[in-house]
Amino acid sequence: MEKQLTIKRRRKVSLDSRKARAGYVFVAPFILGILLVYLPILLDSIWFSFNDIKPAYDENGVAYIALVPQGLKYYVFAFSDMAEGGFISNLLAGLQQLVFEVPAVIIFSLFIAVVLNGKMLGRAAFRAIFFVPVIISTGIMTSLNANDMVSGEMAGGINDGSGGGIINALEVEALFRKMAIGGELVQVVVNLVNDIYQIINYSGVQMLIFLAGLQSISESIYEACRIDGATAWETFWKVTFPMISPMILVNAVYTIIDSFTRSTNVTMSYISDKIANESQATAMYWIYFIIVIGIIALIAGVISSFIFYQRKD
Amino acid sequence: MDSMKNQATPVVTKETKNRIRVDYEGKLSFKERLMEKLKASNTWIKIIVAIFRFVLMLGVSFVIIFPFIAKIAGSFMTKEDVIDSTISLIPKHPTLEIYKAIIVENHYFEALANTFILAFTCALIQMIVACLVGYGLAKFKFKGNKLLMALVVLTMVIPHGALEMSMDRHFIYFDLGTVLSWNYPGLIELIKGAPLQLKNTFTPLFILSLGGLAFKNGLYIYLMRQFFKGVPDELEESAYVDGSGFFRTFFQIILPLAVPMMITVFLFSFSWQWTDEFYTGLIFDTNIDKVYLMPDVYLVPQSLRFDYAGTALYENVINHTGGLMIIAPLIILYLFCQRYLVQGIERSGLVG
Repeated sequence: MEKQLTIKRRRKVSLDSRKARAGYVFVAPFILGILLVYLPILLDSIWFSFNDIKPAYDENGVAYIALVPQGLKYYVFAFSDMAEGGFISNLLAGLQQLVFEVPAVIIFSLFIAVVLNGKMLGRAAFRAIFFVPVIISTGIMTSLNANDMVSGEMAGGINDGSGGGIINALEVEALFRKMAIGGELVQVVVNLVNDIYQIINYSGVQMLIFLAGLQSISESIYEACRIDGATAWETFWKVTFPMISPMILVNAVYTIIDSFTRSTNVTMSYISDKIANESQATAMYWIYFIIVIGIIALIAGVISSFIFYQRKD
Repeated sequence: MDSMKNQATPVVTKETKNRIRVDYEGKLSFKERLMEKLKASNTWIKIIVAIFRFVLMLGVSFVIIFPFIAKIAGSFMTKEDVIDSTISLIPKHPTLEIYKAIIVENHYFEALANTFILAFTCALIQMIVACLVGYGLAKFKFKGNKLLMALVVLTMVIPHGALEMSMDRHFIYFDLGTVLSWNYPGLIELIKGAPLQLKNTFTPLFILSLGGLAFKNGLYIYLMRQFFKGVPDELEESAYVDGSGFFRTFFQIILPLAVPMMITVFLFSFSWQWTDEFYTGLIFDTNIDKVYLMPDVYLVPQSLRFDYAGTALYENVINHTGGLMIIAPLIILYLFCQRYLVQGIERSGLVG
């Protein structure tokens, strides 16, 4: 009897460890990539931010790369660059942009996902149109769109000199001033509405993730709501919203990452265009990275305390 | 009681393969039923909401599509049309000169072929790697699983710019598993005697793809992982009981379920590699034996450089025409794949 038990236990352990081994085989490409390629590049990059890099020649005339230690010089410089248009002011501008962009992208993509999830006329066509930006709003197209005079010029011909924007800032400002709302807030709202094209372009992946989340909510919950007489509004806030809340965290993190690492981001473009010294740029990128990680951790921490996880036992 | 019994006697009026139309005595006519429905108070609200929703969607779609219309219109204009204020969308002298110049002087078809080879291979590798890694992270418990997931996110957060210089040096002297690869020998130097020179080849991108480290690969791994998490464990367990191994189970049972999601990942990685200019700009830097790629397409061709009042706008029009030619193949691919895109996401039942 005892013998049998030990055999049984050993078998169970061996299955677990076999499973673990299989797991390692599946993730092997990533582990190998990290260890053999990525980590060396990463470490070198950190090392470069403390050194000057100079091409040099040894006694045989063979070119090699010489590193001249600079200590914390580049980091100190980055933090002392307080001038208008310098590193610190660009960093703050980037953060300010983020504060408005992330909620706008999340609210917009959630709204569109909810609408596209329901039955409506032409749903398939709208879905096809809404996901076009996902595949074409990266890389070359982002930088091209950042400098788009064509649409403005052509639209200018149509609305006949309303400034090219979708809504007229002055009219809206006048409206809100009567309601005693601050001018700066109005400006923010007006800017967001006029940037709708950018926001749509940035929210493609988020829309897809929300749509997937909405699809995974069981129809029987909605059925129960209807039987109990809940209105659509109540159903959204008491069922859909809590069920989708894990996706809000995912999307918030993704939006922050996407917004921060996009090449047209204020800080990113400042570093890549204005900083000629490569070591200085690398040091700035690393400072920037630490700040981004901090923000992601902060926001993820705040949001995750509001998240509702459905228990799936 | 009697009348109700009569009413319930159905008469089949029309029968096809899928539908049966039934009529019974005393049934309200279509018009009457419509009136009944309209009398109900919430019908009107529903109609108004539906119209509002439709118009809103139409408006947002217009915002997405209008820039394309404007750019397509601009691409057929001559340099005089561009600054003519009486022309907004329809050119007076339609011409193909911008297209012609881009095809000939920017080597459009060469760039197309090169980029296709690069993007297709990268997308294929990235899709397979994302599948494997995603499955490993989703379904197997092993030491460091959570740490690996954190690393996947980390690779997305690190700005490309931070690694630009270091990648540049590493691809000039490519070696595995060593820092400062021009000073310290790594695996390749130990075996072959010298580090590899990988600049101006596609190899660096293939290597990054193989490790799941290229552009936004973290997202693909995350998507695949969430998809596999949604696949019930019972499926694999029953396969194991029937004597199938881990890998056979994965390839024969799990992978076929993941096809729509794989197409989604493939579409993403193909199109994002297609429009990438960071990595291609990093790897292809010399003008000797120039490899033409998509970033070359939107440059202003020599024959279209004019110095006149509308130069800035005209060159912008040319840039965007190049942009249209870059995304044209993507749009065609998207038309074929877009139903899988939504399907893959819908069936995934992603969980947070």
